[in-house]
This record gives sequence, structure tokens and C-alpha cells, in this order.
Amino acid sequence: MAPMAASPEIDPALVRAAQHGDRMAQGELMDALIPFLGRICGPIALQDGPDAVQEVLIAIFRNLGQLRDPAAIFGWARAIAVREAVRVARQAARATVGELADVPAPGDPQLAADVADVLGRLTPEHRAVLVLRDLDGLSEREAGALLAVPGGTVRSRLLRARRAFRKAWGQ
Amino acid sequence: MNQQWPVADLDPVRRLRVIAATTPGVIYAEQHIPAPFGEVWAVASDLENELPRIVADVRTFKITASAGERLQGRARSRLGLRARFDVVLRPGWCLMQNRFLIFGMAAVPEDGGTRFAGLGALRVPGASLLAPVNRLLLTHQLGHGAIDRLADRARSR
Repeated sequence: MAPMAASPEIDPALVRAAQHGDRMAQGELMDALIPFLGRICGPIALQDGPDAVQEVLIAIFRNLGQLRDPAAIFGWARAIAVREAVRVARQAARATVGELADVPAPGDPQLAADVADVLGRLTPEHRAVLVLRDLDGLSEREAGALLAVPGGTVRSRLLRARRAFRKAWGQ
Repeated sequence: MNQQWPVADLDPVRRLRVIAATTPGVIYAEQHIPAPFGEVWAVASDLENELPRIVADVRTFKITASAGERLQGRARSRLGLRARFDVVLRPGWCLMQNRFLIFGMAAVPEDGGTRFAGLGALRVPGASLLAPVNRLLLTHQLGHGAIDRLADRARSR
């Protein structure tokens, strides 16, 4: 999987202005954050991705005053995004339990190499690991810290998630 | 393959919900308008004609500068007071503010019609403590049924 694009540069003055209640700055900051958050929340929350992005942005702007270093905003936003996306996906109760036996055999016309279809057969927690490790390029330790689980749990979830994809694509 | 990964987006109405949820003392309304998005937004985005109809105290509103989606406008109140507004205007989204006031509109197509949202807030210190007073003032300013009236004008076009 290709690593996720690097976090965009953000003008620290824009973050400071948003912290002081400038709603035009908040709007501009949202424009910059939404593509970044959408790439995290989409694969984890799937059809509930827009709900997740909305909740993430509310959490970000309610707590923006706590962010001391504007340059850290994307790392900070990533942590909130993963947590909220997993919560929204679980709350929606649409996630199926991640059993690899559920993954269709290669060639199944229903699958049609649809990434969203394979992701939908994993739990939100497995999807979160996949996003952080394979899409976002975080280390096991970093991913574990964000998800509040040990590195070993990250490793085992990642193995299961990757195996699901290998099975789906018949590799 | 990376292109196939699902990416979530946030439409303009959801964006305005975020502003509403994080702005103290805000008034916010959202409703379905049974008219196509294009017709509704043609009315809503006509700020020079529409703003005086939506905001009770605004007598005139003139666009004084524009650069892409960024505009500047000058509002004149019924008492003759002037206020300069910064504005971002693009299809389905309008957000404007000056030192004292924030005003926003958002719209998306929905079931053959339009979901329309409007927002107003005062930018004053202690806005969260004064929220009930602010809401009273803003409700007077924006008036009840502002979205209904806008919908009527969209339908009559």
C-alpha cells in the first residue's frame, strides 16, 4: 500500500487566529484538515465516515485552545480522528466481527477487488491499525500509543488485516 | 490501489454544524426546502439583495472587493452605522464575520430539494455566559422564519 501523503503545511498564524475565535480562520483550517481527516476516517468508519469527520472537527475546535504548538496540529488531529472514527463505527453497530472466514474467495464477483468491501469485513480496531501502519506509515509503537494498546496487539491486528486483503486479492 | 481507499468528505451543511457546535451563544437552524439547490443558492448567494431581507438591522449591503471566493462587504444599519465584513462565498457555503458578528449559510442538494442551514452569533467577550441574551438579540436580528422567506423567494424565481 502506498504511504499516505505527508501532512500539509499549515500557517501557525491561522491556528492562533482560530484559537482566538476567528471563525473565518476556523473555516480555512477546516478546509485544510478535512482531506487529511477524510483519509483516516473513511477507511475506519466507512459509510459513517462523514459523521466521524464531523465529530472529529467538533472535538478539535472545542479543544483547540489546549494545542500549544500549532505545528503539531496534524499529529494531534490524527489521534482524535482515529479515536472518534473507531467510536463512531462501533456506535453505528454496522461493523461485522473481523473473521477472516467471512472474506470471500478470490474471484468472487461480489468482491470485485473493492477495498471498502474488504475493510467492511474487519472490525473498526483492525481498520484503524491498517490505516495507521500501512496508509499513514506509523511505527507499531506509535500506532499502539494512539490506540492505547500494546505493540503486540498492533502487530497481531495488522497481520490479520493484511491477511484479509491477501486472501481477497488471491495473492 | 491507494486511490480506491474510501475517503470521507464533509459537505457544507455538516461544516456549518461544526461551526455551530463550537461557537458560544450561537443560533442555528436547518431545514429542507422543496426547491432545487441551484435556485435556492442563486437567491441565498445574492448577498447585496438578500442580506437586508434576512438580517433585520441591515438596510444595505454592498460588496466592496472580491478575490476569488473571498469578498469584502460593507453593511449599513437602519441607524446609519457602517460595518465591514470579511466574506467567503462559494457554491453551498457562505461565512462572514466582522468584529462583532458571525453569519453563515450552507446548502446541499437533498431528495430533489435542498437542505439549507443558517447560523448567527455575536463575537463578544463572555459570549458563552451571555448566550441567552445573545440568542434573544440574534433572533430579533435574524427574525423568525428567515429560511421560509428565503425558500419562498427561491420558489418564486
